[in-house]
Amino acid sequence: MADTTAPPQSQASYVRSGGLTALIFLPPALTLFTVFVILPIGEAGWYGFYNWNGLAALDNFVGLENYRQLLANKTFHQAFINNLLIIAVSLAVQLPLALGMAVLLADRLIGSTAFRMLFFLPYILADVAAGLIWRFMFDGDYGLISQTWQALGGDPLYILADRHWAYAAVLTVIVWKYFGFHMMLYIAGLQNIDRNLYEAASIDGASPWQRFRFITLPGLKPMIKLSVFFSLLGSLQFFDMIVSLTGGGPLNSSHTMVSFLYYFGIGRMRIGFGSAVGVLLFILCATVAFGYKRWLMRDDND
Amino acid sequence: MLVKALSGLAVAFAMSLASAQAADVTVRMLHVNETGDPYWKKIAEDYNATHKGVKVIVDYMENEAYKAKLPTLLQSEDRPDIIYSWAGGVMRAQIEAGYIQDITAHKAEFDQVIYPAPLGAYEVDGKLYGVSVQLSEVLLIYNKALLAKAGVDPAQMKTWDGFLDVLKKTKGAGVTPLIMGGADKWPMHFFYSYLLMRLGGPDVLTTAETTEGGFKAQPFVDAGAKLKELAALEPFQDGWLGTKYLPSQGQFGDGKGMMALQLNGFIPGQQKNATDGKGIPNDQIGLAPFPELPGGKGKITDTLGGVQGFLLTKDAPPEALDFLKYFVSAEAQKASAEAGVYVPATKGTDAFIKNPLVAEIARAISNSTWHQNFLDQDLGPSVGRVVNDVSVAIAAGDMTPEDGAQQIQDAWDQR
Amino acid sequence: MTETALQAHRPRKGPLALPNSDVVPASLTAPLTGLPRFLILCFVAALVMVPLLATALGGFKELGELRTNPFGLPKVWQWENYRGILASARYWRILGNSLFISAVTVALTLAVAAPAAFAFAHLRFFGQRFLFNYFILGLTFPFATAILPLFIKVRDLGLLDTHWGIILPQVAFSQALSILLMRNAFRQLPAELLDAALVDGCGYMRFFLWITLPLSRPILATVAVITFVVSWNNFLLPLVVINTNAKYPWTLGLMDYQGEFIVAWQLILAFITLTILPAVMMFVLAQRYIVSGLTAGAVKG
Repeated sequence: MADTTAPPQSQASYVRSGGLTALIFLPPALTLFTVFVILPIGEAGWYGFYNWNGLAALDNFVGLENYRQLLANKTFHQAFINNLLIIAVSLAVQLPLALGMAVLLADRLIGSTAFRMLFFLPYILADVAAGLIWRFMFDGDYGLISQTWQALGGDPLYILADRHWAYAAVLTVIVWKYFGFHMMLYIAGLQNIDRNLYEAASIDGASPWQRFRFITLPGLKPMIKLSVFFSLLGSLQFFDMIVSLTGGGPLNSSHTMVSFLYYFGIGRMRIGFGSAVGVLLFILCATVAFGYKRWLMRDDND
Repeated sequence: MLVKALSGLAVAFAMSLASAQAADVTVRMLHVNETGDPYWKKIAEDYNATHKGVKVIVDYMENEAYKAKLPTLLQSEDRPDIIYSWAGGVMRAQIEAGYIQDITAHKAEFDQVIYPAPLGAYEVDGKLYGVSVQLSEVLLIYNKALLAKAGVDPAQMKTWDGFLDVLKKTKGAGVTPLIMGGADKWPMHFFYSYLLMRLGGPDVLTTAETTEGGFKAQPFVDAGAKLKELAALEPFQDGWLGTKYLPSQGQFGDGKGMMALQLNGFIPGQQKNATDGKGIPNDQIGLAPFPELPGGKGKITDTLGGVQGFLLTKDAPPEALDFLKYFVSAEAQKASAEAGVYVPATKGTDAFIKNPLVAEIARAISNSTWHQNFLDQDLGPSVGRVVNDVSVAIAAGDMTPEDGAQQIQDAWDQR
Repeated sequence: MTETALQAHRPRKGPLALPNSDVVPASLTAPLTGLPRFLILCFVAALVMVPLLATALGGFKELGELRTNPFGLPKVWQWENYRGILASARYWRILGNSLFISAVTVALTLAVAAPAAFAFAHLRFFGQRFLFNYFILGLTFPFATAILPLFIKVRDLGLLDTHWGIILPQVAFSQALSILLMRNAFRQLPAELLDAALVDGCGYMRFFLWITLPLSRPILATVAVITFVVSWNNFLLPLVVINTNAKYPWTLGLMDYQGEFIVAWQLILAFITLTILPAVMMFVLAQRYIVSGLTAGAVKG
């Protein structure tokens, strides 16, 4: 390509050589992506129409039967609700907490960096490890929470054995682990807000609360959207911590859709059924992504 | 280009890794028996010492992890050569999928060594697919000291009402009557299975399997109702729904509850997993059969239990079969029989059993009027797990017995 | 092209470069200052730290002491719990496996995604828009949705129970975000630079290798950090792909250990502490890179 004696190439030949280069630069990424991402998603759609244990021949076509069973499955209903609960807690607890901490830590005050790092630390731990750490915390016999309760005069608390509270425990750990990440998003967003606005406002005599309400909050709007988007996507793929913290129990009360897919699809050798779950998840992810894009565009036009 | 070269290199590297171990024949055996593990590793060591060029590796995996792993495990090129099995429907599914070797040609040899009934569990359509190694029985295992403390008589437990009475009295005396590893679910299905056996009698499962809607029949609903009646007394320890099997052994060993409806393997297990590592000594343990039910078709001498053994997977080398032959020999099984870890299926090993508890179980099994395999294995992977789910849900008051039967039926129909 | 010209075009630190470059008068943005602020922060910090400290300290106790002395320091420090794990081959093996998997995943991700990103940033070819959108499609799909067919695919390729069975899907699933991030960064290099280079007779390949890549070190680092962390913490994929415990990455190894020593909480706690230690140490040493890498990746992607 780079013949140094040749005269300067015309625009048209750039384009052509660009195409040639692309033929070298693109195929590895394209191949891997197609083989391991696109094809499996397509195949999930295919397998979802079969009652298949993954071993025998793929010949038991059942149409929409897997989907019918799935939509009638009470454990799946619970798993779906649990996914919604993650979103609810993200919005009602995690978002305000992360925002509050971000506001307190955005400026360079004493200890800000140390606190930021501390709050971010749980985020880098693997979900599996975080789940085990909290499995210990919630353990009725050895865990600190039960021990504290007993020190106050109560009976041992078996939180993870209680179908009404086990999932609340999962939600607690989610906030513990992820609020630091969202806080960092908000801190990044705060640094995008024009400082002069604050100075002008304080000259006008605005209270700190008013400054927060009328400058900080509107300025953070894009970041808040982004943070909500991550909560949605995070909820749809939430799995590891379920395995290490509750195993989906007690009484299948703490499954998410992905853990449902794993335990009821792979664990019971029902590849077709599990694929149907995957397809449903895929549709939800696509909806979230598409909805988010619309949501962003709508506000950009405001 | 670099990328292509790299990924080419990567694949080549992966392949070379796969073929690197060709020098010695390696035989890998995978099982779930925690207390048997050291004995089985020893058998492999002895075998390796006398067989040059063969290396047998015995690996232990936790029970639930193994069951969850098995479907993917079998499909890997690197699948273990010898896998642990509970026979029954799960094994049949594995055979149908073509992952298990037919060893009918060696049946005569195994016939000489292993008792016919347990070996028969590994035959499907007249072909032999595996060997049985250990027999187990599910029975009431109790702590004599706590029984005395609660002031109850084990003889009362022969009938259902007497059994419920014992639970009430025990609870009244401030002792937890039953230890349950509810988080793993299958421990609860022992209650459901025994109730079903006592109510429905020996042909209860075959009838259900061959009749349209057969799993909704009366014995299935009634077994659920009886389980509900039992659970209504709240006989289990606090937090039982979140307790896994091994920690539940530890709780029994720590004296936190009087009784468990468990496999005989629970006895050495509670000793190992107790906080002090000693647990309840054998002479402080008593055994009792599951009670009889009034008007039921089953007998008190009918036993629920397992016929656990090993299967040879597809592509396992001949050395693996040779090792299995040695493994089930009386010589190899002697040490675990003496230690009382389990009841071997090998002929002539009863002479080695010193532990009176194990001897008692061995007797009960050999006198059994009907030995039913674990339901969660017998009914196959998808239906079996539903039976476990249903048992726990009924006991937790989360499901009616009718819904439970319906769910088992649905799982059977959707199998 | 002079060195200064290159300097001038070096992508500026975005707003997300977290180190506080601009100092703001203290009270302007924060509604709370002084002691109340400090107390609130300490309270939240305690909630974050207590489980971690309890885990690390619990690993120094005996099982019984976890019950009798849940809150205090160990009466006798049981170094043996930790020493036993550190002396075991198992601990080093699972960390080594994870390191291998993650390092190769990062290297391959960069090697595969960077040229593709360059093609999207600087070349013009038929179907470009379509192909780019095709990759972007992958942005929102976690592999959980396709884990079953992915498993079948890995099996059919004979990669089951190999580290490549984890690495290749991980590289594939990291393409969407990596390509997007790198394309955006590569585009910030001014077009005149490329034009000048091409006129000078410098081909795309050389331009890519000698100019684009060296100038884009920050974004390469970002992609590397994200890919590494995701791979290091991956659990679901190894769970379905790996069967032999000699090949377990640390996440599987941790669950395996937990299953085996399920009643010995003190050992499990020590094992958790030791397995998360590498991540914590990396974080402390390279916190700025990691924080800005993970958040920047999230924001730009």
